[in-house]
Amino acid sequence: MIAGKTWREIRWLCLAYLLVLELLTVPVLLLWPDIYADLQRATLFKNVSVDFLKRIVEGVSGDNEQVAYLNWCAVMLFFRGTNLVATAAAVLIGTGLFARERENQTFEFLLSRPLGRGAILWQKFWPSALAVTVPIFVVSATAIGWSHVIGLELPLDRLMLASTHAAAFALLFLAATTWLSVLLRVQAHVAAVIGAIAILQIGLYLTQRIRPYTLFRLVDFEWYGPILAGHVRAPQMFDPWQGPAHTTWLLLGAVVCYVLAWRALRAAEP
Amino acid sequence: MNTPAIAAAGLAKAYGDKTVLRDLSFQVGAGELLGLVGPNGAGKSTLLRLLLGLVPRAGGALAVAGEDPARRPLVVRQRCCYLPGETGVYLQLTGKQFLDFAAGFYPRHDDARRDRLLGQFELPLRQKVRSYSAGMKQKLALVATLSPDVDLYVLDEPDRALDASVRFFLRDELRRLQHDGKTILLSSHHLGEVESLADRLEFLLDGGFVPAARLLAARARLRQRPRVRLAPNAALPPGAREVRREPDGTLVVETDGDPMAWLRSSPVGAIDSAEVGIPRLEDLYALLLQDAANGGVA
Repeated sequence: MIAGKTWREIRWLCLAYLLVLELLTVPVLLLWPDIYADLQRATLFKNVSVDFLKRIVEGVSGDNEQVAYLNWCAVMLFFRGTNLVATAAAVLIGTGLFARERENQTFEFLLSRPLGRGAILWQKFWPSALAVTVPIFVVSATAIGWSHVIGLELPLDRLMLASTHAAAFALLFLAATTWLSVLLRVQAHVAAVIGAIAILQIGLYLTQRIRPYTLFRLVDFEWYGPILAGHVRAPQMFDPWQGPAHTTWLLLGAVVCYVLAWRALRAAEP
Repeated sequence: MNTPAIAAAGLAKAYGDKTVLRDLSFQVGAGELLGLVGPNGAGKSTLLRLLLGLVPRAGGALAVAGEDPARRPLVVRQRCCYLPGETGVYLQLTGKQFLDFAAGFYPRHDDARRDRLLGQFELPLRQKVRSYSAGMKQKLALVATLSPDVDLYVLDEPDRALDASVRFFLRDELRRLQHDGKTILLSSHHLGEVESLADRLEFLLDGGFVPAARLLAARARLRQRPRVRLAPNAALPPGAREVRREPDGTLVVETDGDPMAWLRSSPVGAIDSAEVGIPRLEDLYALLLQDAANGGVA
């Protein structure tokens, strides 16, 4: 019941998010041959002094076009696409899950039904989680088709691993926003707090010495690039004894935020 | 002996330093209709929320439908249906979608009652709730609350935003529910209607129930206070003094003896209209609060 209603509420937002993600992806893939030629000729970009930008430029302008294309996809599909759009979708969807109930004065109605608060949270969360993560995989899958159009390959297994990592990041934001949505009574306040956190993290990420300690370091080009290149496989993504296990830490963060949301909802008064 | 539908002993609730309910003890028998009245902030909604296990209590013992709502809230909520004080209806759904959504939480429904309510309320169920007036939203919430077949109905101001004819229908419907053996606890600001409906009335003031003797004394005193509208340029006839003048010019006066005798003895044409013996809830609040401030003497 609650899951169905939640889906009805977010389905158009989910569709819009899928379309935006796809529309951001298609041109950068189809225009790749021209972009690659420009990058090969350009010399200005190769002298950029910002370290991570320099590595991106070097990655996408190398002599091996297939490798350069994989790096381009790591930047455009994930470093730019999902980091921006999926995070925004997670925040937009998560913001309303409980704060909107309070704003519309339906929170007490919901809590007074014969349904546990854990069940209420779960039935609101899982459709939202699917709405946030499924489009990432869909757009990644369509990228394979668009790549064929320009005669290049995108390996499905690596793309799905990168998509899983991006989905874990989006889930972290969704769970954190859901927690705030239980704690705060106004949707705008939830969006303001989570927006401030994101802006702070981005600002710190752009600061050279602090970058390794920021959240966005877990989802930058230097993580997606090796996944798409096949240098980072599932064990390094998930097993802390075999690699940095960034995906596991993101999922663990999402679980922690979910548990915090559950505790906050359990203690919430109408 | 039947288990009471609600049994509370020494019930207490506080928000921080502010005590909202103190040492409340009462019982509601199965099939009984208890009316709860009191001014805003008296703790009515908090008491109803305690019954549903929506807020934790600070002390005392409570059993609703034989279960402690703090320990087994889901069992309690399966046996009772609650109409919150804030009309909780989803604006983005149509009326029908909302009723289907609300019905999905309960296994048993009284379809005849649902049809009777819908037939009377004439709600445009295909339209989004967003387009409903306040009264229509309240009617929709009432259908959603009264349709499930449960043992106890807890209604927080069910007559809010309803016009008189709908309130009369609701009164009949609640009587019918009671006749079917259902227990009803309702809070309201309409003292007259709660009185005409309830088997018993509890007046909540300052976190506790007002003792029956004090309430009776206050009401007796209010009966000495007719509301009169004087003719233009007429003075208040002797034998009464002004207690309060309302913005529309109505005077609340206190008579020395029987107010009817005072009215009869007033000069012809001095008083345009008078209302005697119908204590208004706000007057009762004011008097009880004044008495409480003076040490509880009615």
